[in-house]
Amino acid sequence: MDKEASNGADWETWQASFINETFANLRRLTAIPFLPDKMEQVRKGVTPREVVYEEDRLKVYHYIGEGEPGFKTPLCLVFALVNRPYIMDLKEGRSIIAQYVKAGFDTYLIDWGSPTRAERFLTTDDYVNGYILNVVNFVRERTSSDNVNLLGYCMGGTLSTMFTALHQNLVKNLVLLATGIDYSSRESLLNLWTDPRYFDVDKFVDTVGNIPAEFLQSAFLLLKPVSNLVDKYINLAENVHRDEFVDDYLHMETWLNDNIPVPGEVYREFAKYLFQQNLLVKNRMPLGRHMVDLRKITCPLLNLMASSDHLVPCSQSAALNDLVSSTDKEKIVWPAGHIGLAVSARAQKELWPRAVEWLVKRTD
Amino acid sequence: MTDNTDKIFDQAAAFQKLWMDSLTEMAGIWSQYSAGSPPIDEMRKMRGGMLKVLAETWDEYMRTPQFLEMMKASLNGALDLKRMAREGMNRVHEQFENPSKQDVDAVLLAIRHVERRLLDRLEGLDDRVANLNERIDNVDEGIAKQEKAIERLEQTVRTKVEKPAPTPRKATRAE
Repeated sequence: MDKEASNGADWETWQASFINETFANLRRLTAIPFLPDKMEQVRKGVTPREVVYEEDRLKVYHYIGEGEPGFKTPLCLVFALVNRPYIMDLKEGRSIIAQYVKAGFDTYLIDWGSPTRAERFLTTDDYVNGYILNVVNFVRERTSSDNVNLLGYCMGGTLSTMFTALHQNLVKNLVLLATGIDYSSRESLLNLWTDPRYFDVDKFVDTVGNIPAEFLQSAFLLLKPVSNLVDKYINLAENVHRDEFVDDYLHMETWLNDNIPVPGEVYREFAKYLFQQNLLVKNRMPLGRHMVDLRKITCPLLNLMASSDHLVPCSQSAALNDLVSSTDKEKIVWPAGHIGLAVSARAQKELWPRAVEWLVKRTD
Repeated sequence: MTDNTDKIFDQAAAFQKLWMDSLTEMAGIWSQYSAGSPPIDEMRKMRGGMLKVLAETWDEYMRTPQFLEMMKASLNGALDLKRMAREGMNRVHEQFENPSKQDVDAVLLAIRHVERRLLDRLEGLDDRVANLNERIDNVDEGIAKQEKAIERLEQTVRTKVEKPAPTPRKATRAE
Protein backbone atom coordinates (compact mmCIF):
# COMPACT_ATOMS: atom_id res chain seq x y z
CA MET A 1 0.00 0.00 0.00
CA ASP A 2 2.79 2.36 1.03
CA LYS A 3 4.79 1.42 -2.04
CA GLU A 4 1.79 2.16 -4.25
CA ALA A 5 1.30 5.52 -2.57
CA SER A 6 4.96 6.30 -3.05
CA ASN A 7 4.77 5.37 -6.73
CA GLY A 8 1.75 7.63 -7.06
CA ALA A 9 3.67 10.51 -5.49
CA ASP A 10 6.66 9.82 -7.80
CA TRP A 11 4.38 9.83 -10.80
CA GLU A 12 2.90 13.18 -9.76
CA THR A 13 6.36 14.67 -9.24
CA TRP A 14 7.47 13.40 -12.64
CA GLN A 15 4.38 14.79 -14.31
CA ALA A 16 4.86 18.18 -12.66
CA SER A 17 8.51 18.17 -13.67
CA PHE A 18 7.68 17.40 -17.33
CA ILE A 19 4.98 20.07 -17.44
CA ASN A 20 7.30 22.66 -15.84
CA GLU A 21 10.09 21.81 -18.25
CA THR A 22 7.75 22.04 -21.25
CA PHE A 23 6.62 25.51 -20.21
CA ALA A 24 10.19 26.54 -19.45
CA ASN A 25 11.18 25.41 -22.95
CA LEU A 26 8.38 27.47 -24.44
CA ARG A 27 9.56 30.49 -22.48
CA ARG A 28 13.12 29.84 -23.71
CA LEU A 29 11.98 29.61 -27.32
CA THR A 30 9.99 32.83 -27.14
CA ALA A 31 12.99 34.65 -25.59
CA ILE A 32 15.39 33.80 -28.41
CA PRO A 33 14.13 36.39 -30.97
CA PHE A 34 14.84 39.16 -28.44
CA LEU A 35 18.53 38.26 -28.08
CA PRO A 36 19.88 40.46 -30.91
CA ASP A 37 18.07 43.47 -29.42
CA LYS A 38 19.57 42.80 -26.02
CA MET A 39 23.00 42.37 -27.60
CA GLU A 40 22.75 45.84 -29.09
CA GLN A 41 21.93 47.32 -25.70
CA VAL A 42 25.22 46.19 -24.16
CA ARG A 43 27.27 49.22 -23.14
CA LYS A 44 31.01 49.22 -22.62
CA GLY A 45 31.32 50.98 -19.29
CA VAL A 46 28.58 52.66 -17.26
CA THR A 47 30.08 55.30 -14.97
CA PRO A 48 30.15 58.81 -16.53
CA ARG A 49 33.68 59.63 -17.69
CA GLU A 50 35.78 62.05 -19.69
CA VAL A 51 39.05 61.63 -21.55
CA VAL A 52 41.65 63.78 -19.82
CA TYR A 53 44.93 62.56 -21.29
CA GLU A 54 46.04 60.94 -24.55
CA GLU A 55 49.40 59.65 -25.68
CA ASP A 56 49.90 57.51 -28.78
CA ARG A 57 47.12 54.89 -28.50
CA LEU A 58 46.66 55.39 -24.79
CA LYS A 59 43.75 57.27 -23.23
CA VAL A 60 43.13 58.13 -19.60
CA TYR A 61 39.54 58.32 -18.43
CA HIS A 62 38.55 60.41 -15.47
CA TYR A 63 35.37 59.19 -13.79
CA ILE A 64 32.91 61.84 -12.76
CA GLY A 65 31.38 61.37 -9.36
CA GLU A 66 28.68 63.29 -7.58
CA GLY A 67 30.28 66.35 -6.01
CA GLU A 68 33.90 66.97 -5.16
CA PRO A 69 36.23 64.03 -4.43
CA GLY A 70 36.48 63.23 -0.75
CA PHE A 71 40.19 62.39 -0.84
CA LYS A 72 43.21 64.35 -1.92
CA THR A 73 45.13 61.34 -3.26
CA PRO A 74 43.64 60.13 -6.55
CA LEU A 75 43.19 56.49 -7.60
CA CYS A 76 44.73 55.25 -10.84
CA LEU A 77 43.61 51.92 -12.34
CA VAL A 78 45.93 49.93 -14.59
CA PHE A 79 44.48 47.10 -16.64
CA ALA A 80 46.14 44.32 -18.64
CA LEU A 81 47.31 44.78 -22.20
CA VAL A 82 45.32 41.77 -23.48
CA ASN A 83 41.70 42.92 -23.11
CA ARG A 84 39.75 46.13 -22.92
CA PRO A 85 39.60 47.74 -19.48
CA TYR A 86 35.82 48.20 -19.26
CA ILE A 87 35.55 44.95 -17.25
CA MET A 88 36.32 47.24 -14.32
CA ASP A 89 33.16 49.20 -15.08
CA LEU A 90 31.11 46.42 -16.67
CA LYS A 91 27.51 47.31 -15.83
CA GLU A 92 25.28 48.74 -13.11
CA GLY A 93 26.02 46.93 -9.88
CA ARG A 94 29.06 45.18 -11.37
CA SER A 95 31.57 47.98 -11.40
CA ILE A 96 34.74 48.32 -9.33
CA ILE A 97 35.12 51.87 -10.58
CA ALA A 98 31.63 52.85 -9.45
CA GLN A 99 32.41 51.56 -5.96
CA TYR A 100 35.51 53.75 -5.67
CA VAL A 101 33.84 56.79 -7.26
CA LYS A 102 30.89 56.44 -4.88
CA ALA A 103 33.28 56.29 -1.93
CA GLY A 104 34.67 59.68 -2.99
CA PHE A 105 37.88 58.72 -4.82
CA ASP A 106 39.05 60.82 -7.74
CA THR A 107 39.33 57.86 -10.12
CA TYR A 108 41.34 57.49 -13.33
CA LEU A 109 41.65 54.49 -15.66
CA ILE A 110 44.30 53.79 -18.27
CA ASP A 111 42.92 52.44 -21.56
CA TRP A 112 45.95 51.18 -23.50
CA GLY A 113 44.15 51.13 -26.85
CA SER A 114 44.86 48.62 -29.57
CA PRO A 115 48.52 48.52 -30.66
CA THR A 116 49.34 48.68 -34.35
CA ARG A 117 52.44 47.37 -36.11
CA ALA A 118 54.16 50.61 -35.21
CA GLU A 119 53.97 49.56 -31.54
CA ARG A 120 55.44 46.11 -32.00
CA PHE A 121 58.82 47.14 -30.63
CA LEU A 122 57.44 48.76 -27.48
CA THR A 123 58.88 47.08 -24.40
CA THR A 124 57.66 46.64 -20.84
CA ASP A 125 60.02 49.48 -19.93
CA ASP A 126 58.11 51.78 -22.30
CA TYR A 127 54.88 50.90 -20.55
CA VAL A 128 56.17 51.13 -16.97
CA ASN A 129 58.72 53.93 -17.15
CA GLY A 130 57.07 55.61 -20.10
CA TYR A 131 53.30 55.50 -20.23
CA ILE A 132 52.44 54.71 -16.59
CA LEU A 133 54.98 57.24 -15.31
CA ASN A 134 53.59 59.92 -17.65
CA VAL A 135 50.02 59.15 -16.59
CA VAL A 136 50.88 59.18 -12.89
CA ASN A 137 52.71 62.49 -13.28
CA PHE A 138 49.80 63.92 -15.23
CA VAL A 139 47.29 62.80 -12.58
CA ARG A 140 49.49 64.14 -9.77
CA GLU A 141 49.75 67.48 -11.49
CA ARG A 142 46.01 67.58 -12.22
CA THR A 143 45.08 66.82 -8.63
CA SER A 144 47.99 68.65 -6.96
CA SER A 145 48.85 65.47 -5.14
CA ASP A 146 52.32 64.16 -4.28
CA ASN A 147 51.43 60.56 -5.07
CA VAL A 148 48.61 58.31 -6.26
CA ASN A 149 46.87 55.12 -5.19
CA LEU A 150 47.51 52.43 -7.78
CA LEU A 151 45.16 49.53 -8.54
CA GLY A 152 46.30 46.90 -11.04
CA TYR A 153 44.38 43.95 -12.43
CA CYS A 154 46.02 40.81 -13.86
CA MET A 155 48.90 41.83 -16.14
CA GLY A 156 48.13 45.42 -15.15
CA GLY A 157 48.87 44.37 -11.60
CA THR A 158 52.28 43.06 -12.61
CA LEU A 159 52.99 46.36 -14.41
CA SER A 160 51.79 48.31 -11.35
CA THR A 161 54.03 46.25 -9.07
CA MET A 162 57.06 46.94 -11.27
CA PHE A 163 56.15 50.62 -11.36
CA THR A 164 55.83 50.81 -7.58
CA ALA A 165 59.17 49.07 -7.09
CA LEU A 166 60.85 51.65 -9.34
CA HIS A 167 58.91 54.74 -8.25
CA GLN A 168 57.87 54.04 -4.67
CA ASN A 169 57.75 57.75 -3.84
CA LEU A 170 54.91 58.21 -6.34
CA VAL A 171 52.66 55.45 -4.99
CA LYS A 172 50.76 55.85 -1.72
CA ASN A 173 48.90 52.53 -1.66
CA LEU A 174 49.02 49.52 -3.97
CA VAL A 175 45.98 47.33 -4.60
CA LEU A 176 46.40 44.24 -6.78
CA LEU A 177 43.86 41.85 -8.25
CA ALA A 178 44.78 38.42 -9.56
CA THR A 179 48.34 39.52 -10.25
CA GLY A 180 51.02 37.15 -11.48
CA ILE A 181 54.31 37.55 -9.59
CA ASP A 182 55.79 34.09 -8.92
CA TYR A 183 55.68 31.93 -12.03
CA SER A 184 57.46 28.93 -10.58
CA SER A 185 54.32 26.87 -10.04
CA ARG A 186 53.02 24.69 -12.87
CA GLU A 187 49.45 24.90 -11.61
CA SER A 188 48.30 27.13 -14.45
CA LEU A 189 48.30 25.63 -17.95
CA LEU A 190 49.72 28.88 -19.31
CA ASN A 191 52.91 28.36 -17.27
CA LEU A 192 53.19 24.85 -18.65
CA TRP A 193 52.55 25.83 -22.26
CA THR A 194 55.22 28.54 -22.16
CA ASP A 195 57.87 26.09 -20.93
CA PRO A 196 61.00 26.79 -23.03
CA ARG A 197 61.17 23.10 -24.05
CA TYR A 198 57.86 23.42 -25.85
CA PHE A 199 57.59 27.09 -26.75
CA ASP A 200 60.18 29.08 -28.68
CA VAL A 201 59.05 32.60 -27.82
CA ASP A 202 61.74 34.28 -29.95
CA LYS A 203 60.72 32.42 -33.08
CA PHE A 204 57.07 33.18 -32.34
CA VAL A 205 57.50 36.92 -31.81
CA ASP A 206 59.99 37.30 -34.67
CA THR A 207 57.48 35.71 -37.02
CA VAL A 208 54.17 37.21 -35.92
CA GLY A 209 55.25 40.60 -34.51
CA ASN A 210 52.36 41.77 -32.35
CA ILE A 211 50.61 38.78 -30.81
CA PRO A 212 47.25 38.48 -32.59
CA ALA A 213 44.11 38.85 -30.47
CA GLU A 214 42.73 35.62 -31.99
CA PHE A 215 45.77 33.67 -30.78
CA LEU A 216 45.37 34.96 -27.25
CA GLN A 217 41.62 34.34 -27.31
CA SER A 218 42.12 30.72 -28.47
CA ALA A 219 44.71 30.13 -25.75
CA PHE A 220 42.34 31.47 -23.09
CA LEU A 221 39.46 29.35 -24.40
CA LEU A 222 41.65 26.26 -24.45
CA LEU A 223 42.50 26.70 -20.77
CA LYS A 224 39.00 25.46 -19.95
CA PRO A 225 37.73 23.92 -23.16
CA VAL A 226 34.66 22.15 -21.77
CA SER A 227 33.52 25.10 -19.73
CA ASN A 228 34.19 27.68 -22.46
CA LEU A 229 33.00 25.72 -25.49
CA VAL A 230 30.20 23.51 -24.14
CA ASP A 231 29.01 24.32 -20.64
CA LYS A 232 28.64 28.03 -21.26
CA TYR A 233 26.27 27.58 -24.21
CA ILE A 234 24.18 24.96 -22.40
CA ASN A 235 23.80 27.41 -19.53
CA LEU A 236 22.72 30.12 -21.93
CA ALA A 237 20.16 27.81 -23.57
CA GLU A 238 18.74 26.89 -20.18
CA ASN A 239 18.55 30.45 -18.91
CA VAL A 240 17.82 32.38 -22.07
CA HIS A 241 14.38 33.37 -20.68
CA ARG A 242 15.90 34.96 -17.56
CA ASP A 243 16.58 38.62 -18.30
CA GLU A 244 19.21 39.15 -15.62
CA PHE A 245 21.18 36.07 -16.63
CA VAL A 246 21.12 37.06 -20.30
CA ASP A 247 22.18 40.61 -19.49
CA ASP A 248 25.15 39.37 -17.42
CA TYR A 249 26.02 36.81 -20.08
CA LEU A 250 25.97 39.31 -22.94
CA HIS A 251 28.06 41.86 -21.04
CA MET A 252 30.64 39.20 -20.19
CA GLU A 253 30.74 37.73 -23.69
CA THR A 254 31.08 41.15 -25.28
CA TRP A 255 34.08 41.82 -23.08
CA LEU A 256 35.61 38.34 -23.43
CA ASN A 257 35.52 38.54 -27.22
CA ASP A 258 36.87 42.07 -27.31
CA ASN A 259 40.54 41.08 -27.30
CA ILE A 260 43.35 43.27 -28.55
CA PRO A 261 46.83 42.31 -29.77
CA VAL A 262 49.77 42.51 -27.39
CA PRO A 263 52.93 44.32 -28.52
CA GLY A 264 55.42 41.65 -29.58
CA GLU A 265 58.34 42.77 -27.41
CA VAL A 266 56.19 43.04 -24.27
CA TYR A 267 54.95 39.51 -24.90
CA ARG A 268 58.52 38.30 -25.43
CA GLU A 269 59.65 39.87 -22.15
CA PHE A 270 56.71 38.54 -20.17
CA ALA A 271 57.07 35.03 -21.60
CA LYS A 272 60.85 34.91 -21.29
CA TYR A 273 61.61 36.85 -18.10
CA LEU A 274 58.51 35.95 -16.12
CA PHE A 275 56.96 32.69 -17.34
CA GLN A 276 60.24 31.03 -18.29
CA GLN A 277 62.88 32.55 -15.99
CA ASN A 278 60.73 33.86 -13.14
CA LEU A 279 63.00 36.89 -12.70
CA LEU A 280 60.58 39.13 -10.81
CA VAL A 281 60.72 37.12 -7.57
CA LYS A 282 64.51 36.95 -7.90
CA ASN A 283 64.61 40.77 -8.04
CA ARG A 284 66.41 40.50 -11.38
CA MET A 285 63.69 41.59 -13.80
CA PRO A 286 65.35 43.99 -16.27
CA LEU A 287 63.37 47.02 -17.33
CA GLY A 288 65.42 49.13 -19.71
CA ARG A 289 68.31 50.47 -17.66
CA HIS A 290 66.65 49.46 -14.41
CA MET A 291 66.29 46.28 -12.41
CA VAL A 292 63.03 45.67 -10.57
CA ASP A 293 63.66 45.01 -6.91
CA LEU A 294 60.45 44.13 -5.10
CA ARG A 295 62.07 44.88 -1.74
CA LYS A 296 61.84 48.57 -2.64
CA ILE A 297 58.06 48.44 -2.25
CA THR A 298 57.30 49.93 1.15
CA CYS A 299 53.77 51.28 0.77
CA PRO A 300 50.65 49.55 2.13
CA LEU A 301 49.68 46.61 -0.07
CA LEU A 302 46.35 44.87 -0.57
CA ASN A 303 46.67 41.67 -2.59
CA LEU A 304 43.37 40.21 -3.79
CA MET A 305 43.31 36.76 -5.37
CA ALA A 306 40.70 34.25 -6.48
CA SER A 307 40.72 30.69 -5.18
CA SER A 308 39.43 29.21 -8.48
CA ASP A 309 41.55 31.33 -10.78
CA HIS A 310 42.69 29.16 -13.70
CA LEU A 311 44.72 31.96 -15.27
CA VAL A 312 46.61 33.34 -12.27
CA PRO A 313 46.40 30.80 -9.43
CA CYS A 314 46.71 32.08 -5.86
CA SER A 315 50.19 30.59 -5.53
CA GLN A 316 51.30 32.95 -8.28
CA SER A 317 50.06 36.08 -6.47
CA ALA A 318 50.46 35.24 -2.78
CA ALA A 319 54.26 35.28 -2.91
CA LEU A 320 54.35 39.07 -3.31
CA ASN A 321 53.40 39.77 0.31
CA ASP A 322 56.60 38.05 1.45
CA LEU A 323 58.79 39.78 -1.11
CA VAL A 324 57.99 43.43 -0.41
CA SER A 325 59.29 45.51 2.48
CA SER A 326 55.88 46.94 3.34
CA THR A 327 54.83 46.48 6.93
CA ASP A 328 51.17 47.17 6.24
CA LYS A 329 50.16 44.37 3.88
CA GLU A 330 47.11 42.20 3.54
CA LYS A 331 45.95 39.44 1.25
CA ILE A 332 42.42 38.26 0.65
CA VAL A 333 41.63 34.98 -1.11
CA TRP A 334 38.11 35.17 -2.50
CA PRO A 335 36.08 32.17 -3.66
CA ALA A 336 35.74 33.10 -7.33
CA GLY A 337 37.44 32.82 -10.71
CA HIS A 338 39.73 35.29 -12.49
CA ILE A 339 36.87 37.49 -13.69
CA GLY A 340 34.44 36.71 -10.89
CA LEU A 341 36.88 38.33 -8.49
CA ALA A 342 36.09 41.66 -10.12
CA VAL A 343 32.49 41.41 -11.27
CA SER A 344 30.63 38.57 -9.56
CA ALA A 345 27.56 39.68 -7.62
CA ARG A 346 28.99 38.34 -4.36
CA ALA A 347 32.38 40.01 -4.83
CA GLN A 348 30.65 43.30 -5.61
CA LYS A 349 28.52 42.98 -2.51
CA GLU A 350 31.06 41.71 0.00
CA LEU A 351 34.65 41.91 -1.26
CA TRP A 352 34.74 45.31 -2.92
CA PRO A 353 33.21 47.31 -0.07
CA ARG A 354 36.01 45.77 2.04
CA ALA A 355 38.65 46.71 -0.50
CA VAL A 356 37.27 50.25 -0.76
CA GLU A 357 37.28 50.56 3.04
CA TRP A 358 40.89 49.37 3.13
CA LEU A 359 41.89 52.23 0.83
CA VAL A 360 39.71 54.78 2.61
CA LYS A 361 41.58 54.10 5.85
CA ARG A 362 44.92 54.73 4.21
CA THR A 363 44.17 57.77 2.05
CA ASP A 364 44.27 61.48 2.88
CA MET B 1 62.70 9.26 -38.48
CA THR B 2 62.18 6.55 -35.84
CA ASP B 3 62.05 9.22 -33.15
CA ASN B 4 59.38 11.08 -35.06
CA THR B 5 57.38 7.91 -35.61
CA ASP B 6 57.64 7.08 -31.91
CA LYS B 7 56.49 10.57 -31.02
CA ILE B 8 53.50 10.29 -33.35
CA PHE B 9 52.57 6.91 -31.84
CA ASP B 10 52.96 8.31 -28.33
CA GLN B 11 50.76 11.25 -29.20
CA ALA B 12 48.13 9.02 -30.78
CA ALA B 13 48.22 6.75 -27.71
CA ALA B 14 47.82 9.73 -25.36
CA PHE B 15 44.88 11.00 -27.41
CA GLN B 16 43.29 7.57 -27.39
CA LYS B 17 43.83 7.33 -23.63
CA LEU B 18 42.13 10.70 -23.20
CA TRP B 19 38.97 9.49 -24.90
CA MET B 20 39.03 6.09 -23.24
CA ASP B 21 39.37 7.70 -19.80
CA SER B 22 36.70 10.27 -20.61
CA LEU B 23 34.21 7.68 -21.86
CA THR B 24 34.87 5.26 -19.00
CA GLU B 25 34.45 7.91 -16.35
CA MET B 26 31.44 9.41 -18.12
CA ALA B 27 29.83 5.96 -18.17
CA GLY B 28 30.66 5.63 -14.46
CA ILE B 29 28.60 8.76 -13.75
CA TRP B 30 25.46 6.90 -14.82
CA SER B 31 25.82 4.57 -11.85
CA GLN B 32 24.67 7.52 -9.73
CA TYR B 33 21.40 7.74 -11.66
CA SER B 34 18.49 7.60 -9.25
CA ALA B 35 15.36 6.25 -10.85
CA GLY B 36 13.23 7.71 -8.05
CA SER B 37 13.87 11.35 -8.98
CA PRO B 38 12.26 13.10 -11.94
CA PRO B 39 14.19 12.15 -15.11
CA ILE B 40 14.75 15.80 -16.10
CA ASP B 41 16.57 16.60 -12.87
CA GLU B 42 18.53 13.38 -13.05
CA MET B 43 19.53 14.02 -16.66
CA ARG B 44 20.78 17.46 -15.68
CA LYS B 45 22.79 15.91 -12.87
CA MET B 46 24.25 13.32 -15.22
CA ARG B 47 25.10 15.98 -17.78
CA GLY B 48 26.84 18.08 -15.13
CA GLY B 49 28.79 15.06 -13.94
CA MET B 50 29.84 14.08 -17.44
CA LEU B 51 31.01 17.58 -18.31
CA LYS B 52 32.97 17.74 -15.06
CA VAL B 53 34.70 14.46 -15.85
CA LEU B 54 35.37 15.60 -19.40
CA ALA B 55 36.87 18.86 -18.13
CA GLU B 56 39.14 17.02 -15.72
CA THR B 57 40.40 14.49 -18.27
CA TRP B 58 41.06 17.22 -20.83
CA ASP B 59 42.93 19.29 -18.26
CA GLU B 60 45.03 16.25 -17.42
CA TYR B 61 45.65 15.57 -21.11
CA MET B 62 46.71 19.13 -21.83
CA ARG B 63 49.44 18.73 -19.23
CA THR B 64 50.97 15.62 -20.82
CA PRO B 65 54.32 15.87 -22.66
CA GLN B 66 52.61 14.33 -25.70
CA PHE B 67 50.12 17.19 -25.92
CA LEU B 68 52.86 19.74 -25.36
CA GLU B 69 54.97 18.16 -28.12
CA MET B 70 51.99 18.20 -30.43
CA MET B 71 51.29 21.84 -29.62
CA LYS B 72 54.94 22.71 -30.25
CA ALA B 73 54.98 20.86 -33.59
CA SER B 74 51.76 22.46 -34.84
CA LEU B 75 52.81 25.96 -33.75
CA ASN B 76 56.24 25.57 -35.36
CA GLY B 77 54.62 24.26 -38.54
CA ALA B 78 52.29 27.27 -38.67
CA LEU B 79 55.17 29.68 -38.03
CA ASP B 80 57.33 28.07 -40.74
CA LEU B 81 54.47 28.35 -43.19
CA LYS B 82 53.94 32.00 -42.32
CA ARG B 83 57.65 32.71 -42.72
CA MET B 84 57.82 30.98 -46.08
CA ALA B 85 54.78 32.91 -47.30
CA ARG B 86 56.35 36.16 -46.11
CA GLU B 87 59.66 35.41 -47.78
CA GLY B 88 57.80 34.74 -51.03
CA MET B 89 55.93 38.02 -50.70
CA ASN B 90 59.16 39.84 -49.90
CA ARG B 91 60.66 38.60 -53.15
CA VAL B 92 57.62 39.78 -55.08
CA HIS B 93 57.81 43.22 -53.42
CA GLU B 94 61.52 43.36 -54.17
CA GLN B 95 60.92 42.66 -57.86
CA PHE B 96 58.30 45.40 -58.04
CA GLU B 97 60.46 47.70 -55.92
CA ASN B 98 57.70 48.07 -53.34
CA PRO B 99 58.35 48.28 -49.63
CA SER B 100 57.62 44.96 -47.94
CA LYS B 101 56.61 44.27 -44.33
CA GLN B 102 60.27 43.44 -43.67
CA ASP B 103 61.29 46.90 -44.91
CA VAL B 104 58.64 48.61 -42.78
CA ASP B 105 59.75 46.62 -39.75
CA ALA B 106 63.38 47.52 -40.42
CA VAL B 107 62.49 51.23 -40.53
CA LEU B 108 60.43 50.91 -37.34
CA LEU B 109 63.27 49.11 -35.63
CA ALA B 110 65.78 51.76 -36.72
CA ILE B 111 63.50 54.50 -35.35
CA ARG B 112 63.10 52.47 -32.20
CA HIS B 113 66.87 52.19 -31.74
CA VAL B 114 67.33 55.93 -32.18
CA GLU B 115 64.46 56.56 -29.76
CA ARG B 116 65.98 54.12 -27.24
CA ARG B 117 69.38 55.80 -27.46
CA LEU B 118 67.81 59.24 -27.01
CA LEU B 119 65.73 58.05 -24.08
CA ASP B 120 68.78 56.46 -22.46
CA ARG B 121 70.72 59.69 -22.88
CA LEU B 122 67.80 61.69 -21.49
CA GLU B 123 67.50 59.35 -18.54
CA GLY B 124 71.26 59.69 -17.96
CA LEU B 125 70.93 63.45 -18.08
CA ASP B 126 67.93 63.26 -15.79
CA ASP B 127 69.98 61.30 -13.26
CA ARG B 128 72.84 63.79 -13.52
CA VAL B 129 70.49 66.73 -13.04
CA ALA B 130 68.99 64.97 -10.02
CA ASN B 131 72.52 64.42 -8.64
CA LEU B 132 73.45 68.03 -9.23
CA ASN B 133 70.22 69.18 -7.58
CA GLU B 134 71.02 67.04 -4.59
CA ARG B 135 74.51 68.49 -4.37
CA ILE B 136 73.18 72.04 -4.75
CA ASP B 137 70.68 71.29 -2.00
CA ASN B 138 73.52 70.03 0.19
CA VAL B 139 75.57 73.13 -0.52
CA ASP B 140 72.53 75.34 0.18
CA GLU B 141 71.98 73.48 3.41
CA GLY B 142 75.64 73.98 4.35
CA ILE B 143 75.44 77.68 3.55
CA ALA B 144 72.25 78.01 5.57
CA LYS B 145 73.92 76.26 8.51
CA GLN B 146 76.95 78.54 8.25
CA GLU B 147 74.72 81.61 8.03
CA LYS B 148 72.87 80.47 11.13
CA ALA B 149 76.15 79.88 12.95
CA ILE B 150 77.37 83.34 11.95
CA GLU B 151 74.11 84.83 13.11
CA ARG B 152 74.38 83.04 16.41
CA LEU B 153 77.96 84.20 16.82
CA GLU B 154 76.98 87.74 15.93
CA GLN B 155 74.15 87.57 18.43
CA THR B 156 76.47 86.32 21.14
CA VAL B 157 79.03 89.03 20.44
CA ARG B 158 76.35 91.71 20.35
CA THR B 159 74.91 90.51 23.62
CA LYS B 160 78.36 90.61 25.20
CA VAL B 161 78.98 94.12 23.91
CA GLU B 162 75.58 95.45 24.90
CA LYS B 163 75.59 93.82 28.32
CA PRO B 164 76.79 96.33 30.95
CA ALA B 165 79.98 95.41 32.66
CA PRO B 166 79.25 93.84 35.96
CA THR B 167 79.73 96.23 38.86
CA PRO B 168 82.71 95.32 40.93
CA ARG B 169 81.67 93.58 44.06
CA LYS B 170 82.23 95.68 47.07
CA ALA B 171 84.62 94.02 49.28
CA THR B 172 83.03 93.46 52.61
CA ARG B 173 85.32 93.20 55.30
CA ALA B 174 84.33 91.24 58.17
CA GLU B 175 85.53 93.22 60.97
